[in-house]
Amino acid sequence: MTIPMELYLPIAGNSVNIAAVFGLGGAVGLLSGIFGVGGGFLMTPLLIMMGIPPTVAAATDSNQIVGASTSGTLAHLRLGNVDVKMGLLLLIGGVLGGTVGVEIIKMLRAMGNADFLINITYVLMLGLVGGYMFVESLQSMHKAKAPARDVPEKHVKSSAFGRMAASLPWPMDFKRSGVRMSPLLPLLLGVMVGVLSAIMGVGGGFIMVPVMVYLLRMPMHVVVGTSLFQILFTCLNVTVMQSISNHTVDFVLALILLVGSSLGAQVGAKLGKKLHGDQLKILLATLVLVVMFKILYELIARPDVLLASVGGH
Amino acid sequence: MKHAIVIFLLFVALPATVWASDLECTVSPGIIDIGATYNGTSLAIDGQVPEGSQVVVRLVGQAQNVALKQKGKVFGLLWMNMNTLHFANVPSVCLIDASAPLQTLGAAGGSLGLDGLAGKITIDPADADRSMLLPEFLRLKSQEGLYRENAGGVKLGQAKDGRQPFSVRLPVPSRLSPGSYTVEIYAVKDGAVEAQVSQAVEARLTGAPAFLADLAFNHAAWYGVLASIIAILGGLGIGLVFQSKGAH
Repeated sequence: MTIPMELYLPIAGNSVNIAAVFGLGGAVGLLSGIFGVGGGFLMTPLLIMMGIPPTVAAATDSNQIVGASTSGTLAHLRLGNVDVKMGLLLLIGGVLGGTVGVEIIKMLRAMGNADFLINITYVLMLGLVGGYMFVESLQSMHKAKAPARDVPEKHVKSSAFGRMAASLPWPMDFKRSGVRMSPLLPLLLGVMVGVLSAIMGVGGGFIMVPVMVYLLRMPMHVVVGTSLFQILFTCLNVTVMQSISNHTVDFVLALILLVGSSLGAQVGAKLGKKLHGDQLKILLATLVLVVMFKILYELIARPDVLLASVGGH
Repeated sequence: MKHAIVIFLLFVALPATVWASDLECTVSPGIIDIGATYNGTSLAIDGQVPEGSQVVVRLVGQAQNVALKQKGKVFGLLWMNMNTLHFANVPSVCLIDASAPLQTLGAAGGSLGLDGLAGKITIDPADADRSMLLPEFLRLKSQEGLYRENAGGVKLGQAKDGRQPFSVRLPVPSRLSPGSYTVEIYAVKDGAVEAQVSQAVEARLTGAPAFLADLAFNHAAWYGVLASIIAILGGLGIGLVFQSKGAH
């Protein structure tokens, strides 16, 4: 065993290896910087594997994401990748949707089988999003063998969604994203993502990113910056709420993760700039699919222990 | 000290009273300080038992009620958390070591081991399948490092004047909550507990962990805001460091 690398965490009620936590933060931060996802759907299970209680892992993770997304947002702001107007609209929608989602979850828990629904939602959403992104970016990579940099997907299909979107009132320009649409559209989509992410208990980055790419038709690089911007505020809210109602935020753990992940996010933002939009998308799609298969596997394989702790104290 | 033990045992463990003065022990440290660098510790326990008896040592936490979800299959395919089960009379921690395997110690050995402990746990609803659930429960707690049953860790010394010294180092896991714990020593002979004694051990937070826990539990709103501000400042700070280093 290493000598002075262990640190006791009073909230988590366990001690951890500082270097391991730091490394975990760095790896997840790198992904978060590249893809504009909070990384909660990766970090939380890994923390649980390190012996952190699930409730503490989830809450602490959101505290860490506050820091990581601050750093990431800053980096992307400098690169001109944040559409503040769009981000705010999504955020307002997300907060509204999150409130609705929390009520839905309460109702489901009262009825009994919330966990089943949560896991099935996960598998369906991840499979759908990951699969669609994967196929779509493969196709567009084939179409444009010598791709022009940063081409937003402008081939607007005349779908039912497209017609509905065009019929919404008060269209306005979103300069950073180079799109023109009604502010109601991001607001409504924000509500939808908010509901889903509250049900699934995640920041929602991995749903928000595809929504921005495919439904709002924003260019991938602006999507990443704007997503981080929006996640920053979502996680601020969660950190304070969790601290007050559940006492599950472990500040010290978050800080170590943060230093690791902030460094990772900075590197990730630069790395992301070097990759093409389609490459980014296919990588993210792969990641999402891997996580989906992991959850699916856990659903199908016989668990090691046939009992599980219930969240909360 | 010996008097105190005799009086204690008179009240608590009547059958063992007669031999109580034959069993004595010291536990060190008597208080487990959980500071910033705490990563588990070990208790040094030694004492004397009547000659010819085997020794069982247990560190037991306070009894709790625990709610757990039972996993089951839905549609014959997917594993899901199903119904909630309430386990009562569950010690938070139970670490056992002995001078000989508990199975060789007869009835007393059985009741002092984890299986004996499981026998005292009650499960609500009452019609739950105990024979399946209790081993699973022990497995869950063992995986968390909170339950453990070893043998051979307790070393017996040379007997002298009908008394036999013993000593053991009992490793304590890092996942220890602050609170009161009890070290229990049993002298077992011919399958029965011949004498027993127990001593309290306190685990408490000190230093930085104590400060943080107080802040988190007693000033939760401040804690949350502070955690957020520090996270933002940390993120900004690292961002700025990168800006000055980055060749833009």
